[in-house]
Amino acid sequence: MSGPVLAAVLAQAAPLAACLTILIGLRERPRAAAGLATLSLVVALGATAYLVVVVAVPDVHWVAQTTWLPVADGPALAFGVFFDPLAATMSFVVAFITLAVMVYSLGYMAGDPGFARYFGFLALFAWAMLGLVLASNLLQVLVFWELVGLASFLLIGFWFEQSAPAAAARKAFLMTRVGDVGFLLGVLLLVRALGNATISDVVAAAGPAGVFSPRFTTTVALLLLMGVIGKSAQGPLFTWLPDAMEGPTPVSALLHSATMVAAGVFLVARLHGFFAAAPEVMRGLLWLALATALATATMAMVAEDIKRVLAYSTISQLGYMLMALAAGSVTAGFFHLTTHAGFKALLFMAAGIFIHHAHSNDMRVIATKQPRSQRAGVIGLVSGSLALAGVIPFSGYFSKEAVLATLGQHAGTAALALAYLGAGLTAYYTFRMVWLTIPVGAVGAVGAEGAVGKVHYEPSGGDRAMAASVLVLSALTLVLGYLGGWLAARLGHEGVEHGPFAFGAGPLVALALVAAGIALAWVEFGRRGAARAGFAERVPALRAFFGDNWYLDRLYGATLVRWGTALSRAARWHDHTVLDGASDGVASGTVWGGRILARVQAGYVQAYVAVAISLIAALGVWLVRRGGLQ
Amino acid sequence: MTVASYLFVAACLFGIGLYGLLQRRSLVAMLIALELMLAAVSINVVALTTLAGRDGALGQVVALILVGVAAAEAAIALSLFVAIHRARHTIDVEQLSELTG
Repeated sequence: MSGPVLAAVLAQAAPLAACLTILIGLRERPRAAAGLATLSLVVALGATAYLVVVVAVPDVHWVAQTTWLPVADGPALAFGVFFDPLAATMSFVVAFITLAVMVYSLGYMAGDPGFARYFGFLALFAWAMLGLVLASNLLQVLVFWELVGLASFLLIGFWFEQSAPAAAARKAFLMTRVGDVGFLLGVLLLVRALGNATISDVVAAAGPAGVFSPRFTTTVALLLLMGVIGKSAQGPLFTWLPDAMEGPTPVSALLHSATMVAAGVFLVARLHGFFAAAPEVMRGLLWLALATALATATMAMVAEDIKRVLAYSTISQLGYMLMALAAGSVTAGFFHLTTHAGFKALLFMAAGIFIHHAHSNDMRVIATKQPRSQRAGVIGLVSGSLALAGVIPFSGYFSKEAVLATLGQHAGTAALALAYLGAGLTAYYTFRMVWLTIPVGAVGAVGAEGAVGKVHYEPSGGDRAMAASVLVLSALTLVLGYLGGWLAARLGHEGVEHGPFAFGAGPLVALALVAAGIALAWVEFGRRGAARAGFAERVPALRAFFGDNWYLDRLYGATLVRWGTALSRAARWHDHTVLDGASDGVASGTVWGGRILARVQAGYVQAYVAVAISLIAALGVWLVRRGGLQ
Repeated sequence: MTVASYLFVAACLFGIGLYGLLQRRSLVAMLIALELMLAAVSINVVALTTLAGRDGALGQVVALILVGVAAAEAAIALSLFVAIHRARHTIDVEQLSELTG
């Protein structure tokens, strides 16, 4: 194996080894477990950094594959590693964010009884995500795709002894599974058509010179997108993500930035050549992502829980990434994914500092507990929010500008106008969050009914590790924006060809809308004597509608969940009455028969074996004498 | 190496397993002996498919399935032994003769 391939394997092997070692051998030794997990991510980070350097030239990629279980007339399933600038950069982002989250968790999770298990799961998450990013075959992607889902399930339900996290983990697992059915079917169709599902072959077969008919490409693209919608929390399947806030806050930071939800977006980018051959599907995805981005922005405007605001904003920003990809720019979509990974991880970590301090997720409760005393939290929340809102020169500005530019070039005026509106809403709800959490003046205590807080276990220090991660990521929000040109040189120029500082009408419109959003938030929440209630919150109907996920969960509860439960009841009745009845009948018949036959039994197992084998041998001899089995 | 030599090895394994199955009094030892016999069958299958002029992969796949079956069987058998030991405090087959007529 050549060096780069070895590095790609090492990047996956290190977290896997750490995960297995911790879960098998270090459950009782939390410090060693945390150290080992962090060390494995340092190794992975080094290896992926090497990958990024190796593919620093455009259009270069590395493949190393081996056929798994070769069968003469069966499919030749090649498994291995494949990386190009996109995958290498993504793997570096994954390793970096996971490492930052691990360092942060050293402080945040200190004293938790499941400390070692937590780090084992984090390493599992890192391995699954790196495996997904570097996989060469869609079947392999599918395996890691499910492993990512498993790791999310384990981490969201980390405090499984409480009922809310356990329910949230179940919901996340089941809702993403709905989409994964489509993904599985799509991959199976590809395997049947091509004999394998190697990513490069799939992309080549969908192009104009490829072997796929447009109809086939459209079908498979739709099926694969179902998986993407589930994983990246879009369209009708997004309601699991706000509930996933029940997990530990660093898990949210990881889940919402570089892993899990990013997997769907990354898959679209990876298979962009394939999806581009199904333009109707891409147009549908564009509008779905746009609708999701706007709908979740309205939900973020009324949420009281700081983590829920961030969760809705993640869904909204994922919508922007998918919009850019659907409009045709890998660079813009992936650029936004990269900057978002940095500032969203930062925002969750900063929120975690406040939650640790105030023992509540409720922004109005946090505001009463001297939030300004948490220096690192304030710095992190403000710089992350500036990036999320898209204020120049923070990273979010550049990537969102690239997304909007792509939409302007390829998606038409209506989509662009709505995307601008979304950018304004983003700025509004982001700064609503900032000023609700860190009020300018003093605020009175909130009543008990206002508190949606959750009791976090008693923390035991470790603030330095948390502050360190937050400060590093805060600094990055000022740097990451300048990566656009670097990425464009490697992924293609669409969408960012004007460079980050090209002031045309577009950036000015976006900045004006962002400024308007922030100004509105200032009037309603920021200034002294503000009412601290937004325009949407004052209308009870809107507040209920937005705050309840547009009643989507109730709709699912009244239809799908009820039908599913009814089906399960019927299945249970069948199981208890028909199947168990049959097996009970067989059992009692056996007992009854045994009572009669017991009279001929001596009771020695080996005597029976000897008799049985002698009889079989005699039968064999007789058959051979007779001349075979004809 | 001819097919016959594989069959010879398999026959030896089978004989050893059969002897152990009949001779040992511990359930665990009997299970180990049984696994030996199963391994002998796997070797036979792999060797004989090549003799039958078929693609060798067929026998290999069957052998792989046998490995899976053997693992499942061992898991069930061992859990039964544990249950028996809890109930009877022994896994000596000579002591386990409740089915005597």
